Amino acid sequence: MKKKTNTLLILALIVGLAFHGSAIFFTLEYTYDALIHLFFADHYADSWFDPWEYRWYTGFTVQSYPPLVHQLIGILSYIGGLKFGMYTVALIAIILFITGAYRYTLLMTGSRRIAGYGAVMAVFSSTFVETLHIFGQLPSVSALSILLHSMTEIYLYIKTGKTRYFITSATMLAVTVTSHHVTPLFGMVFFIAPLMGMTVMDAAREKVNSYKELSFKVFWGTTLQHFWRIAKFGGTAIFLLVFCIFPYWYNSKRNPITQVAIPHGSRDNFLEITSSGLVFFLIPWGVFLFILPYFFYRYFSKRYLFFGLSFTLLTILGTGGTTPIPRLMLGEMAFNILTLDRFTLWATIMALPIFAEFAYRMVEGDLKTLVQEKFGGVYHRVLGGLIAGGMLFMVLFTMTLGYFRPSQPAKIKMLPIVNFLGADSHDSWRYLPLGFGDQMAWLSAQTNAMTVDGNYHSARRLPELTTRAIERIENSKFRGVEGIGSLQQFLTVPEKYNLKYIFSNDKFYDPILYYCGWQRLQQLENGIMVWEKLNVAPIPQIMPKQDVPTIMKIMWGIIPLSTVLIAIFVNIQMIWVRLLKSRKLEEHSFMKLELPYNKFPSRLLTFSHWWALLILICIGYGMYIFYIKNVTQLSPNNVVESYYDALDFKEFSRAHSYIDPEENIDIAQYMLEVSVTDGILSSYAKLDSLGIEIYDETKNSAKAKVATRWITPLENVFNNDFHELIKRKNKWYIKTLKVDNDIPPDQLFTANSTTYYNHGRRKITTQETYHEDVLKQPVLEILSAKLVKYKGQYSIIGELQNVDNTPADIVIKATLYNDNNKELANYNAKHQIKHKLMPKETTTFKINFEGIAWSSTKDTLPPTFNPDEFTPVSFEEQPTKFNLQSAGNTANTDLYKHVALQDMEYTEQGFNGVLFNSGVQEVTIPQLIISYYDADSNLLWVDHKFVTEGVRIQRKQFFNYKPLDLDSLEVITSGLENCFVNGSPNKAIADKIFPNRELTHGKKQAYPFKGKGYEYLKFEINSYIGNPK
Amino acid sequence: MSFKILIILSLLLLGCSDKKEEQPKVTNTPNIALTTTLNNSIAGSPITLSFKTDNTANVYKLQIKNAYGNVLLHPEITDSELINFNIPTNFTRIAGPFRWKLLLHGKIILNGKHTITTNAPKATYIESYFGPRSVTAGYNDFSMLTISPTDAYDNPLDNGTEVTVKYQFLENIEELKISTKNFVAWYNVASTLKSGRILVTSECNGTTSKELATIVYPSNAVNFSIRSSSAHNFADGNQIITFTSDIIKDEFGNIVTNGTLVTFVIKNEKEVYLYTIGTTLNGIAEAKTLHPDKASKWEIQAFITGAAESNITEFNFKPAIKDYPVHFSKGNRNIDIGPFESFMKQLIPDGLLIQLDIYDTNGKFIESKKTTTKDGVCNIFLGEYFLADGDYILKLKAAGITKEFTKNIHGNTTK
Repeated sequence: MKKKTNTLLILALIVGLAFHGSAIFFTLEYTYDALIHLFFADHYADSWFDPWEYRWYTGFTVQSYPPLVHQLIGILSYIGGLKFGMYTVALIAIILFITGAYRYTLLMTGSRRIAGYGAVMAVFSSTFVETLHIFGQLPSVSALSILLHSMTEIYLYIKTGKTRYFITSATMLAVTVTSHHVTPLFGMVFFIAPLMGMTVMDAAREKVNSYKELSFKVFWGTTLQHFWRIAKFGGTAIFLLVFCIFPYWYNSKRNPITQVAIPHGSRDNFLEITSSGLVFFLIPWGVFLFILPYFFYRYFSKRYLFFGLSFTLLTILGTGGTTPIPRLMLGEMAFNILTLDRFTLWATIMALPIFAEFAYRMVEGDLKTLVQEKFGGVYHRVLGGLIAGGMLFMVLFTMTLGYFRPSQPAKIKMLPIVNFLGADSHDSWRYLPLGFGDQMAWLSAQTNAMTVDGNYHSARRLPELTTRAIERIENSKFRGVEGIGSLQQFLTVPEKYNLKYIFSNDKFYDPILYYCGWQRLQQLENGIMVWEKLNVAPIPQIMPKQDVPTIMKIMWGIIPLSTVLIAIFVNIQMIWVRLLKSRKLEEHSFMKLELPYNKFPSRLLTFSHWWALLILICIGYGMYIFYIKNVTQLSPNNVVESYYDALDFKEFSRAHSYIDPEENIDIAQYMLEVSVTDGILSSYAKLDSLGIEIYDETKNSAKAKVATRWITPLENVFNNDFHELIKRKNKWYIKTLKVDNDIPPDQLFTANSTTYYNHGRRKITTQETYHEDVLKQPVLEILSAKLVKYKGQYSIIGELQNVDNTPADIVIKATLYNDNNKELANYNAKHQIKHKLMPKETTTFKINFEGIAWSSTKDTLPPTFNPDEFTPVSFEEQPTKFNLQSAGNTANTDLYKHVALQDMEYTEQGFNGVLFNSGVQEVTIPQLIISYYDADSNLLWVDHKFVTEGVRIQRKQFFNYKPLDLDSLEVITSGLENCFVNGSPNKAIADKIFPNRELTHGKKQAYPFKGKGYEYLKFEINSYIGNPK
Repeated sequence: MSFKILIILSLLLLGCSDKKEEQPKVTNTPNIALTTTLNNSIAGSPITLSFKTDNTANVYKLQIKNAYGNVLLHPEITDSELINFNIPTNFTRIAGPFRWKLLLHGKIILNGKHTITTNAPKATYIESYFGPRSVTAGYNDFSMLTISPTDAYDNPLDNGTEVTVKYQFLENIEELKISTKNFVAWYNVASTLKSGRILVTSECNGTTSKELATIVYPSNAVNFSIRSSSAHNFADGNQIITFTSDIIKDEFGNIVTNGTLVTFVIKNEKEVYLYTIGTTLNGIAEAKTLHPDKASKWEIQAFITGAAESNITEFNFKPAIKDYPVHFSKGNRNIDIGPFESFMKQLIPDGLLIQLDIYDTNGKFIESKKTTTKDGVCNIFLGEYFLADGDYILKLKAAGITKEFTKNIHGNTTK
């Protein structure tokens, strides 16, 4: 019999390449992982043998990820750039996957026809679509595809014992190992082990006449016969796994992953967090869910028994945190490190041949006959149509998921940023992108500048990052309090990392940047705002590097591509023969095991129907729940929830539709009222949790107490709002809150002020800045400084004045020592200070010592970080001394001082005050800095409060502040001996600039208010302007 | 087999060890003498060291060494008896001594020292620095001018080189001569009593430096006076009151720097300290705030913290609103407040804050409602879902006038 080309396979390849090949150009760059691999590829393109990469995480080694795919992209990038390399590798992966699925199906079923079906199903499998087009896991896809290819060879080796097959299988396995480490590791357990079992089973089957006669005794005997082959291959596989990526294991041993577990959707309870359930369960399984009974029926037949066990295991592990079983099976440690979606991926890939077999039987086999007999021809066609339609729907749905619910911010033009970093030595400092999503890797690949962030968290080394369960600092807002806390640490002490520039693509972070003392530099033409920090030294010329022995570098650089070359060389003949059918091949033994498929069990069909019905009911119920929860005006609870949801997403017209229609507020008026409110809650907050308490509910009315928790870049804001709700025509509505009718007296205001401009370099030169272009550092004077202990927490408080004649940007750093002059901690002033001071302006400040400040980070770290709540540091060595280093640099922005304290009154609820903005800039977030003094007007404590709403121009804003009880405050030491300004002792400056300081001014400006533990209060205002004009 | 290998190995080893014994080299010191007599020169002029020898066949080398480093030179043989070493230009241009050693087979045969002096006549360049870039007016601040004159080859000129320093302030141009010591000449330009800009320059051997400047900023401010002004003195909560200082100067009569921060502290009749901020422009600081919405007595004093303070000025706000009507309707659930009439019986501008505190008859606080006026009036509606039927004490606060009512609230009137 002359072999014909398998038309289904050819069809699958053509359709697969056309479909996936064109789609990747629209999806791959928006995936989670693809750009990370691109960055690694750029590393290899740049320095092939040196594994150290400086650009992320203050340096890490690329030997922390198997290199093959990266190196391939790197090599191809010499032809047409990095992206060309990436797409080429993706195309190769697609071909390998389709052919791999074909060969795997052929091995499993022994039928070329069904294998053709397998190839077609592979093209349209939603799990593949998701892995490639949403996750962008190129190495994983490539490794899996080659593993599928190698399975036939492994089978043949164990069956026949021929050296030829040993070599082919080993070479392919080597390629798998070098492209991805987890795939072969688990592939051994879940794919190769059952494959070996099946091989032995087949061999045993050949000894007897039917599967019925195949007893355990026969099987055991055959196993012993094949034992040495299995052992030889198993040993080789382990050797390859260790040897081919030996530097990887060496590195894992040397730099064990210290990263705390980062939450991953695949570990969620899919019933609770339905979005994770969709992405990690429903999409990969897709229509397979309906055919699950068939999979289990087939996989628990004698031949596939081992696959059946493996398949069951994979299916269960893939359910993540939905059931406690995966956690019990893997153990707490592995459960928190592994991403469990890969088990579902493998399960669905494993099911492919059986699904192909099902499709074959459904389209042209016995199942078709059975269904037609039982239910008629029309039903068969409808059923077939539904399954095919379901598959297509899942593919389209998965493909367009990223379009309708973008997982990434819009594509950012990187060129302006790359140019900025390249110009004027800006790359002598580190930068930090904010709100870039996974595109930050693409930025890193294009520039030589370094960032403190990165996108491969297993390789992190900074304790500030490894101790936080956040993926990247760049998207810290999505990790709530912990994320923002981690970001704040980098923003507060940027000089520790030589971090000077921040590219902000998300204005959410703007307030924290401002309050940590950063200033806006310019907006690039792609809309990215550049923030800079003054007083940060450039990166030193010599940077720390963890070197590895040369032999490791050589192994890492040479082995991976060699495995590919060897594999191609070894298999080329086979590929050639198979492709061109140039000579007749001997039929493999497994081809004889093709089943006749003449009787589809009727009971299975019935059961499958019931199963499908159950699944449909589940889906229906899920949709019903979804509907009930989302019908916005069905209950008082729903309308409040929807209203807040609409406000959170700034969908004001939707919010307006929940407003009581009888109040006759038209949409234009509503929008106007909402649009004028600015402030941290309306512009910079993310609704974190919403607690709704409905009370006084009657048939047509109710009251709601809404406790909201907002994540803002500065701190958590807890708000209690009260709403009145009313039911009209079976729909619940919310009544509006009164708006402030206040109007300013004049239409046009005039204001004069001094503005500043710093030229930077006056001479255009590439040389170091000229001496006469360097501005003098403004001189500051520290007026008082104290080490205090309040509520178990140590703080340095004090007061500082800009005694120079130019505006100053203030950086102040405190170090704590114990009695033996041992340094215990150091940290900078964060937001309890005015960072920009006009000439002669004073500010009080407070320095708290956060987690990373302490020299022994590990002992003192709290399990979760809360920016408001500090580590109650329990260290035996008590701080008794401190050192204060302040530095001034000429400031020319953010010098708006025109917010006045217009009125204030002390009531039972604390201070009710009024702020008034007398200038011409809208203050987005006003901050009150409140200082407490004793009877002799010595500073005792500094507190702050962010007013949640902004102060519009020439208007008022109300605030409430509850004064503290300072009974428990303990002043440990105070004095100005170890205080320095711009490197000079504070005393010398005070004597020279302010020899006749009037010391009574402090007292004269303070508000005598007798509280618990203090006698005087002083309010200062620091204003953040969101949109300076 | 193994025997053969053994033989071959032994042969190989023997072959390796076959080596002639090393002969000690015969060293006989040749006759050689320096013929160049000059042992000093001026920077930039070529230097050749010549030696007379009886055997030019010998491989002589000359090692020279100066402050910057070492170099090994090969000779140039001109005739049978003379060998010459041309010192490279990067050595001849650097002032100071260099030492030489004549070597033969690694042994020093002769050595000596040559001195190069600076070449001021060819050209003089001036490198100068002036800092700090700003000083404070008065008697004790200064900027230092540091001058380092060099010759054409960047060698600092000899100690005692005379440098002329010139500096200008307003109409005065001063000139004085100083001399270098340890490569630099320096002069402290004392700050002046007037603020302004001091320009300096320097001259040496006819070469002048670039212009450098320091800014003399005014010294700390001295006490000043302030006044307040407003369109009227009624507490309408809407007009803006402006506080202005006179021209703030330092002790020498200089107007303080633009941008100097002045804090205007307001003490109201309840001894609460409010404040507003102004920054100076040509010495005048101006700060604004809003009129209070009830009669008040403000005492205002301004400070430049640590340096200066102003007089205390007073401003009395007369009540703008004498009284306002309150009208209850719809079972006392609807409260119309107003119209609010201001000092000329005009309707007050929008935005007056009204607060209604609701207590039960036992005086227990229940809730408070806030609203603002629009077109002189405002309305509060206490819906039946908001407040159950019953007796309540209602306290209204507006424009500093508190009104208290005890009302029975009843009825089921949805607005």
